[in-house]
Amino acid sequence: MNRERIESELARLAVGGQRAEIVTDGNRPIVLYHDVPTAGGPHGLPETSDVIVPIPEGHPAAAIDLAGLPAGSPLLPRVKGGNNNQGNVTAGGRQWQLASYHPHNGGGAPPYDQNKHGFHTYFDSLVSWLARLN
Amino acid sequence: MTAERACSSVVVRIGAPEFAALKDLLFRRYPEHEWGTFARLGWRETEDGLILTFAALDSPLPGELNERFGHVVINEPYSLRMALEAERHPFAVAVIHSHPQDCRPDPSHIDDDMDRYYSGYLSGFAPGRPYASLILSELKGELVLSGRVWWRSRWLTVGKFCVERTPVLSWAHGKAVQKALIDESRYARLTTAFGRQAAQRLSRSTVAVIGAGGTGSAAIEVLARAGVGRLVVVDPDVVESSNLERLHGGWPSHAEERISKVETAREHVRRINPDIEVVAILGRLPQKTVVDAVLGADVALGCTDQQHSRLALGELAFRYLLPSIDCGVVLEGCDGKVTGQILQLVRFLSTDPCVLCRRMTNPRRLSQELMSGEERTTRQAAAAEALKRGEPPDPYWAEETQLNTVGYLTTVSGAMAAGYAIGWITGRFDPPFARLQANLVGKFLDTTDSEDTASPECACQRARAWADQGAAQAQITAPSHWPFPKRL
Repeated sequence: MNRERIESELARLAVGGQRAEIVTDGNRPIVLYHDVPTAGGPHGLPETSDVIVPIPEGHPAAAIDLAGLPAGSPLLPRVKGGNNNQGNVTAGGRQWQLASYHPHNGGGAPPYDQNKHGFHTYFDSLVSWLARLN
Repeated sequence: MTAERACSSVVVRIGAPEFAALKDLLFRRYPEHEWGTFARLGWRETEDGLILTFAALDSPLPGELNERFGHVVINEPYSLRMALEAERHPFAVAVIHSHPQDCRPDPSHIDDDMDRYYSGYLSGFAPGRPYASLILSELKGELVLSGRVWWRSRWLTVGKFCVERTPVLSWAHGKAVQKALIDESRYARLTTAFGRQAAQRLSRSTVAVIGAGGTGSAAIEVLARAGVGRLVVVDPDVVESSNLERLHGGWPSHAEERISKVETAREHVRRINPDIEVVAILGRLPQKTVVDAVLGADVALGCTDQQHSRLALGELAFRYLLPSIDCGVVLEGCDGKVTGQILQLVRFLSTDPCVLCRRMTNPRRLSQELMSGEERTTRQAAAAEALKRGEPPDPYWAEETQLNTVGYLTTVSGAMAAGYAIGWITGRFDPPFARLQANLVGKFLDTTDSEDTASPECACQRARAWADQGAAQAQITAPSHWPFPKRL
């Protein structure tokens, strides 16, 4: 993993007030975004949620993919791919469930380009994901 | 002066444009008088030494060197300016000066005094970084470089200089660093064509071959027979019977006994010429052990036809100034009809666009190459489930077609790449292309040469020659699930 690169991307988010950090599930490193806004408020769902994104092997060569919400989150059945469990993860002392969310693989975002995309731009995809609830 | 420790693994790498500028500057008072300059060097600590890359010239301003003397006298404003600059950049600092024409590049007592002073002075401004002192001169028409590096309270002698596309003689401990030609008759044809000097340059050179399959084994065979003194061969795999149609030096017993491809290559080279040193590594780029070994080479050849390896090799060209040629081959056709037999050779000099700028990778294929076996299985299962649901499987997994190839195609490709490596090492010729594609069954071989352009936002334009100081610009990292590399 290119830690320097990812830390600098997360630092860019921090300038705009968004907190994010690198955690681990024991084996693989993961980016944990704190308090990502959702469109759940009017539906009685959480207005924000923590979200995890695995750092892929070989990154930045490998594309960023997937997203996870806290296990049991009421948002899971409402987000795109949330009903299609892509794995359970323990990270940052909590349980998470990965959803079938693939923005750079036909999910709406442009194809992954490491010169343009990173964990700072992936945050935009996450906001968009959590803004479109079923 | 503290006794110098011989360290053949201190390698200094210089790009072609920077070397031309350096030579013009240092030889401005040639042939009688010396001249000098400061420079910034990227650096990397390897398992057994240092790699230094020439990142930028910090030329003297008018008055910063004293013109009244024949030797180099640096006036204080220059030293202070460089020291203050060093506080603002992450690179090693070097003083580089010329010796008069046909004077050996051995450090003089004045040079000893200078190095003693600067190694102490600069450590206050650039703590924990190497200080390098290099000397360039021209001896009997040949460019000769020597150097020493103050690193962790001791002096290390530079064992090798690699200048992109320019043969130079490395000088250490009062003599040229080179191997004697053991059997001159063996290279008689080559010396007739290229000259005896070319054979000597080959004998003291190192070529790294990444991938020891069909293409790599052909390249290794050509390089060994040409008398390259040292080969670094990298491959993670063992020989399988399906390789034997292409593998030079491969026998059924290798497949039966599951001998590694690198061991097979070493055994084959020993039969060709037992004087050639072969460093055989089970591993892949960009694993650290592999990168450390490969960066000691004059030239590298990419023979894996895999995207991650290609990306890593391109990055070594711009971050560490390692020139390389990447090979790819594909056989097109179906139902017994062959419609295309394509080979591609891509040149990677430090100023060439990188793999990303040349759009030589597919992000999806790259991601899939780098995944762990476990993740592949999970994704393939998810893709199968998606198909059952009537959904496209692509978000999870995309099957890549196996590229077909045959022995004569890989042999042509590997041999051509080896030939261009010989051209670079001997200084006799350059690849006349940036990215060559040829179709062996096309009219006039259907040859094309693509001149790609680099994107100004790309890492290859931002971190050229930055070595490890450009780590944040790395385009690929080694997956943690790959087995740890092993040097056989």
